Amino acid sequence: MFVSNKLGRIFAAMCALLLSMGTMWAQNITVKGRVTDSNGEPVVGAYVLVEGTRQGTSTDFDGAYSLTAPRNGALVFSCMGYRDLTVPVNGRSTIDVVLQEDAMLLEDAVVVGFGTQRRENLTGAVSAVNVSQALESRPIADVGRGLQGMTPGLTVRVGSTEVGSDPLFRIRGHVGSYLGGSSPLILLDNVEIPSINLVNPDDIESISVLKDAASASIYGAKAAFGVILITSKKGAKTETIKVNYSANFSFQSLTDTDGIADVDALHYTVEAAERLGTYTPVGAFWLVDRAGYNAAVAWKEKYGSTLDPYAPMVYGRDWYLDASNRKIGVRTYDPYVYMINQGAPTQSHNLSVQGKTGKTNFNISLGYLGQSGMLKPTEYDDFTRYNANVRLSTQVNDYINVHAGMMYTNSNKSWAFSTNSTTADPWYYLFRWGPTYPLVPTDEFGNSLRNQVYEMGAANEANIKTNYTSVNVGATVTPLKNWDIKFDYTYAVNNSQEFNPGITYWAANLWAGGQAVKDAQGNFVTVKNEWDQYNNLGPSIIQQTLPVQSYTSSYDSYYQDSYTSIRQTWNITTDYSLKLANHKFDFLLGMQAVDYRRTGVWGKKMTLMDITNPQFALATGTQTSGGTNSWNSTLGFFGRVNYNYKEKYLVEANLRYDGSSKFPTHLKWRWFPSFSAGWRLTQEPWMQDITHVLSSMKLRASWGMIGDQTVSSSQYIPLISAQTTYWMHSGVRDNAYATPAIVASDITWQDIVTLDLGLEFSLFNQVDFVLGWYQRDTKNMIVGMEGLGYNLGSPPPNGNYGSLRTRGWEASVNYRKIFDNGFSLSASASISDAKTIITEYGSALSIGGWYNGKTYGEIWGYRVDDLYTWDDFGLQPGQWAQLEQLIATDKYGRYYQNVKGYASQGKITSGSAISGPGDVRFKDLNGDGIIDNGSQLLTIKDENGNDVPGYGDLDVIGNTTPRYEYSFRVDLGWKGFDFSMFWQGIGQRDLWGGSALTIPGFNSSDGAMAQAIAGNFWYETLDASGKVIDARYDAFYPRAHNLYSSGTGFNMQVCDRYLLNMAYLRLKNVTLGYTIPEKITKKAFIDKLRVYISLENFLTFDNLRGLPIDVEEIPGYSILNSSNYNSSRTGVGAPAFKSASFGVQLTF
Amino acid sequence: MALVLLVPTSCSDFLERSSLVDLDDNTYWNSEGNVRLFVNGAYAYYFSGYSDNWGSVYAPEVYATPYNDDRTLTGTQPNILLSVPKDNWYRNESTAYRGTWLSHRASAPWNFAYIRKWNLLMERLDTMKENGYLTDEAYNHWMGVARFLRGWDYSRFVQSFGDVPYYDKQVESADIDAQFKDRDPRTYVMDQVKADFDYAIANVRADDGIDYINKYVVSTVAARCMLFEGSWLTYHKNDEALKTCSDIDGHAKTFLQAAVDYAAVTINSGKYGFNKDFRTLFGNLFTTLTGTANEVILYRTYNKSVNNSAQHCYASYSGGNNARESQRTSGNFATLKAWICQDGRPYNSSTVENVESFRMQDMVVTRDPRFEASFLDETWTTPTGLYVQKFIDREGCDYFWNGKTSPAYYNSCTNENGFPCIRYAETVLNWLEAKAILADFFGGPAVTQADLDKSINAIRTRPLDQVAIDKGVKKTAPLTLAMVSSMNDPERTSNIQKTTLGYNTRGFCSPLMWEIRRERRMEFFMESVRTLDIRRWGWLELMLSTNNPDIGVGGWVELDLARNKPADNPSQITNLKKTKNGVGYNLLTASNKGVVSVRHIEKVNADGSIVLGPRVFFDGSNYSEMRGFLVPQNFKDFDPRNVDVRNYLEPICTDVINQYKEKSMATGNNYTIYQNPGWEE
Repeated sequence: MFVSNKLGRIFAAMCALLLSMGTMWAQNITVKGRVTDSNGEPVVGAYVLVEGTRQGTSTDFDGAYSLTAPRNGALVFSCMGYRDLTVPVNGRSTIDVVLQEDAMLLEDAVVVGFGTQRRENLTGAVSAVNVSQALESRPIADVGRGLQGMTPGLTVRVGSTEVGSDPLFRIRGHVGSYLGGSSPLILLDNVEIPSINLVNPDDIESISVLKDAASASIYGAKAAFGVILITSKKGAKTETIKVNYSANFSFQSLTDTDGIADVDALHYTVEAAERLGTYTPVGAFWLVDRAGYNAAVAWKEKYGSTLDPYAPMVYGRDWYLDASNRKIGVRTYDPYVYMINQGAPTQSHNLSVQGKTGKTNFNISLGYLGQSGMLKPTEYDDFTRYNANVRLSTQVNDYINVHAGMMYTNSNKSWAFSTNSTTADPWYYLFRWGPTYPLVPTDEFGNSLRNQVYEMGAANEANIKTNYTSVNVGATVTPLKNWDIKFDYTYAVNNSQEFNPGITYWAANLWAGGQAVKDAQGNFVTVKNEWDQYNNLGPSIIQQTLPVQSYTSSYDSYYQDSYTSIRQTWNITTDYSLKLANHKFDFLLGMQAVDYRRTGVWGKKMTLMDITNPQFALATGTQTSGGTNSWNSTLGFFGRVNYNYKEKYLVEANLRYDGSSKFPTHLKWRWFPSFSAGWRLTQEPWMQDITHVLSSMKLRASWGMIGDQTVSSSQYIPLISAQTTYWMHSGVRDNAYATPAIVASDITWQDIVTLDLGLEFSLFNQVDFVLGWYQRDTKNMIVGMEGLGYNLGSPPPNGNYGSLRTRGWEASVNYRKIFDNGFSLSASASISDAKTIITEYGSALSIGGWYNGKTYGEIWGYRVDDLYTWDDFGLQPGQWAQLEQLIATDKYGRYYQNVKGYASQGKITSGSAISGPGDVRFKDLNGDGIIDNGSQLLTIKDENGNDVPGYGDLDVIGNTTPRYEYSFRVDLGWKGFDFSMFWQGIGQRDLWGGSALTIPGFNSSDGAMAQAIAGNFWYETLDASGKVIDARYDAFYPRAHNLYSSGTGFNMQVCDRYLLNMAYLRLKNVTLGYTIPEKITKKAFIDKLRVYISLENFLTFDNLRGLPIDVEEIPGYSILNSSNYNSSRTGVGAPAFKSASFGVQLTF
Repeated sequence: MALVLLVPTSCSDFLERSSLVDLDDNTYWNSEGNVRLFVNGAYAYYFSGYSDNWGSVYAPEVYATPYNDDRTLTGTQPNILLSVPKDNWYRNESTAYRGTWLSHRASAPWNFAYIRKWNLLMERLDTMKENGYLTDEAYNHWMGVARFLRGWDYSRFVQSFGDVPYYDKQVESADIDAQFKDRDPRTYVMDQVKADFDYAIANVRADDGIDYINKYVVSTVAARCMLFEGSWLTYHKNDEALKTCSDIDGHAKTFLQAAVDYAAVTINSGKYGFNKDFRTLFGNLFTTLTGTANEVILYRTYNKSVNNSAQHCYASYSGGNNARESQRTSGNFATLKAWICQDGRPYNSSTVENVESFRMQDMVVTRDPRFEASFLDETWTTPTGLYVQKFIDREGCDYFWNGKTSPAYYNSCTNENGFPCIRYAETVLNWLEAKAILADFFGGPAVTQADLDKSINAIRTRPLDQVAIDKGVKKTAPLTLAMVSSMNDPERTSNIQKTTLGYNTRGFCSPLMWEIRRERRMEFFMESVRTLDIRRWGWLELMLSTNNPDIGVGGWVELDLARNKPADNPSQITNLKKTKNGVGYNLLTASNKGVVSVRHIEKVNADGSIVLGPRVFFDGSNYSEMRGFLVPQNFKDFDPRNVDVRNYLEPICTDVINQYKEKSMATGNNYTIYQNPGWEE
């Protein structure tokens, strides 16, 4: 509130100054006074008008005013950000008033490209984010998470809960370009920043989201997919010095801790193996068979609730070697117990000093964030960030104001270096190996056990340390009152260093075979076999141990890499305002140049001398190194005209001439125009009769084209790139140069054309509505050329060959009322949707790829009738032998003949699998008696030469794109108490899973799986005579199978029944705060003291049937690997958490 | 105001930023060194050796799944291919795109990236020559290399698919007709391949540096490809798939003669021989054997310490440590029967002492020395009880047996022993077989004793290493034409052979051919050669145990001796090899009742062949009956649909077929590509 308040004051003061010029005074009494806000601060630039006239003045820097007014008249006090106040004069000569802040009106001044506009005068689709609601008193690490759900049309996806990771941003639709970025440009004070994580939420003065081409186009080359415009706090406007301090302490805990299957997973594994004809133990190093499963169930019964989870692993009780020396695990381990530290703390502190002395104002701020991850075995799992920010400006003389600023961010992501793989990190294995894979620290001899828990605990600390420094200098020259010339130069250096210190472990090898233990005399030692009744190994067995070995995998090394990127930005703008009677003009001209260079280097040295101190200097082995070097640049010239007729008709035009280094010389430069217009209906005289109901109403429309160049450089050049092969000549690996790919030499800008319509209105001055519709076309989209044969031997060249179109709408409503008793209530809700269609992509017809008319994200799959029952085959339960008699073979494959006339599934059941009782029964959508996917083409010719659908029984069963994003919040305030509640959700999103947490039998022999699957799959247990003694026929999931690390195969296909419904509604935040009354805090020279508690992510409603994945999950996305993290397995990563926090905010 | 000066004033310079680290095709081609760097990228694809890291394509079979009659695993034998795959196409030359089919057939996927690479290189070489960047000699050499590698890749295409579209120049992206042309007959394609090889043989340097492609590499590989095609046309001449070809016999003869001629270049050079023992060829650590072992023509070395990741995983599957990298498959009874004995005769007619014993301890001293070098001399925990130790040096497997931790270069995927990618033994065996086929079917001169001495007998003179000598291993007697006519191996004329396609086409193979094929089986055991051999000979039917029951049977085991000494039965005898940790090979346990089974020798026929009895299952007490040939647990035959005439060729994957269909729909032109017989949908 503090932020926008200041902004409002400046703007109001400017307006008041304009207004006061040429004002005439009536001959009345003189009234003086002072206008203050509820905190006793002077309100600068408030209008003071004599009611019913246009006479008035505005307050000075001390909030003081003086004017003449009729003795019996009334004064109207108004100021942007405050509620109007009418006070009768009643003959008084001194009237001091206190204006009440009106938060709703605070948003009236909106930061736009290279300027500020009054909200009612906006003609483009621009939203100002309520910074205090989004960012204050929330236990969130970064601005991005705070922005989620705050603005319709801005989608923020938190795809990874890994600490320190960036959320994904999209403005209006999830895809804008195939090979380029689809992300909005994030600008801090008009300069692009590499990550929103770098910004201290406390330093932010305003955030605007520029959504359409007309408003974003002024930023040109990278702004095609919208702009998130952040401005930082610049200092105070009045002669004050204020110190703000805020702190937040939060504690994270898992949202879900019972999603991983225990002994039921063993049941599934054994059922799947036996189905495949494997009766010997299966698994990964720790095996299970029917006997082992039965023993594990018995173990669970006997020890499950009594044995300390950290009790050492004991041979004969917790595991045994079967007769073929295979390790059978009996004890089950709950990964959450060993891996998750419930209540991981996070704290943040921010201190800032803002003020103005003389002609200089300044803002100095310091921030600290210390976030702990939730991994229990290691102390190295956290993210810390330090921010320091200085902004100052000074008025040199009447014409020149100079400013300078510096922003420094230091962040450190730290983790335990037990692997450098981001496609298979410890989380991957935790959700891979089954419940008997020992996670306990030691065995009965006190040896450490080689497992994820031990390795993480023993590992050295790896880091990614980032230093971001941005230095900004500039000046504003004001040759004439209405003419500004602004120069701004920013030099930003981002340096990131990654350290991977290797380790040598010393632990019992859980992957090795057992070793018999002998006593001092050389005789074998025996122990009790607790599970003889299941394994028949006799009552006593030879004590086994596992070989304790040192091992390094491939990490007996020290690795460090470092990259530095330097971005220089020059912004020069000049603006001029002109007012001719009812005609107001604003002109802007400018240029913007961006120069970006990035260099990187890495080095690695093998064989560490001291594993407790890994260093280059303390390693003796081979050294290797490498590096990268790249650069690009953009240059743009732009102009803007705003025209305002009587605050009623508003027109804006932009033109930009952009150049990019990414295209060949003759195609570098392009012109991009945009236009927008607004009509404020409620300014029309004929609308005045209903303004008591319809307080305001505005129609707006815009059209614009922006060039996009967010593709990689040099695509028009047939590059020959260097590689190092694994083949060696003369003792060293070969250098090699690859074959140049086919390229298109005429590659140029992608054109992003947006049409935007908006309607804004408010009722009773209390309820505001904003409705918007838009269409965004990506024309000349850079994609691989369609329709080239595989026989070409090269990937198709990229060029401007495609187009796509996104259409969407947004709606939001705000309500705010402050009741006379001081109770304040505000509520808001918003919803948005976008859908993208491919509009041009050659003549493609393949449903697996892009084709004209395809909805982006669509999922093709089969529709499921049900699971096959015994009845379908005319058999009774347990008649497996009789079922075998029903096997028939056609040219596609084998199937059981059913008696119900269901279509043959032999063609899609790969390998030797046959669909029988308990397996998925698919619908024969095209009624041809065979379940198949046809030619996977939209249309083919039938035998008569007619075009017919060519995709067999497939259908579009879902879409991966999030749709119908909605949010709502309620804020209440009363006597210093404030309460807020914020909900956010997605109405529709589908996902085909790819992990043991989402797909039944994904890799059943590896062992781990979701309990929702392990406890709800079709099975049948027979006794020796073939009689059914146990079964689950009403299961949701089909009969057990092993898909060997795939989401499909055998009897499982992409289908509607097992498609994940990722829609959700989540209580993102609940905050309860209390501001200590000022009269108490004043005694301690404290202006404001607020304490609060805040809960984040505390409640989620979803449709996942208990599968232990987060609803916001994006497979494969993480800070460490944004495209194939943990082999893109769904939900396999740091689990989602909720947090509870308390905090304090202090101003003095 | 000074800030204005910082702004770059020249707009055009400011925006000129092409790649700083990549080279440009338009300027790259200016030296012979650059040509070499361009070719370097293909070595790992063409000369796979032990592949790299966990790779298995074209590499030995101890780690991959089995697709020939030398190998068996437990349970149901895995499918080769039952349905047409969707997407067996690639257009990238990265080693990651070599394709999974290679493990099925040791042949190539639908990937034209290399064809394009060499066509592009040839065009660039022409330009370089015109511009004076290459001498005539260098031009001829590199043109030879390019044509050799193009020919080799087309040969692999043909081995996989039969007919394939042939391109002798780069396909332009605008040339849709070329991209969607139909397949060319394999005889036409191989005629072009032969022309490439003829050029390469004539022009590639005899020495271009150690382990670079030279005339002798070309000679051996070209002979291999020509032998494949010549023998394919010989034994498959009645295949429906060859209906597109003409003059099959004439082509067969031409290609076989080319194989003889190509191989003769190396043989006649006199540079190569057999001066190193067999095991050393595969277990040599860190450095090349080229120049040291005179049978090595091209060697792939690994050395992780010099440069991280130049490593593989094959030694770790050969060191005996079953708890880590276990051999899922191993040799079977058919393999054991095939191995020649030290007197140069098969087991059924050999007179070597104790030759009738199939105990591994006995077999290592009665069979050809390559048996001892290939197998562990005990039975061990593999599906068949046979454990292959060919791909590790002598030292590497001792660690496990002694209970010691082995160095990293024997474990995991951090192995560093090298592989003889091209070796002289193959040269002489290809040469000999091509001569023999020409003699048998095309009126060529008969194979002479001198021919045998240059080939099979030369190989048999390979020295033995001390470990083998200490065990009592001896060199195998030379093969003589007299011996060949005197030993009439009953296996050759057995009913099994009558089921094969090769028999159907050309009758039983001659006694000499039988011995030539046997020599290949021993020499290249587990080296992915057998899979291609049984395909070209029309022997795929041997992979079904209904035809060839011996593949469903493992090695000779004496399980009662192999038992661990159980604490509850200390009197139990235990005298077999166990590790120092007391871990043994014990299958006779309560839970294996009804699971473990062996087959006894029921009788020995008059011709020396063995008849096995029925399976005898362990019943919990019949310890003494548990000596015999081990049956892999739960053994179940291949799905017979895997072994059908259609399986001699790969189907064209549905993506390719659909892409032709799609293009036809889009253009109105009729682009079709025919499917291989039996795979049509």
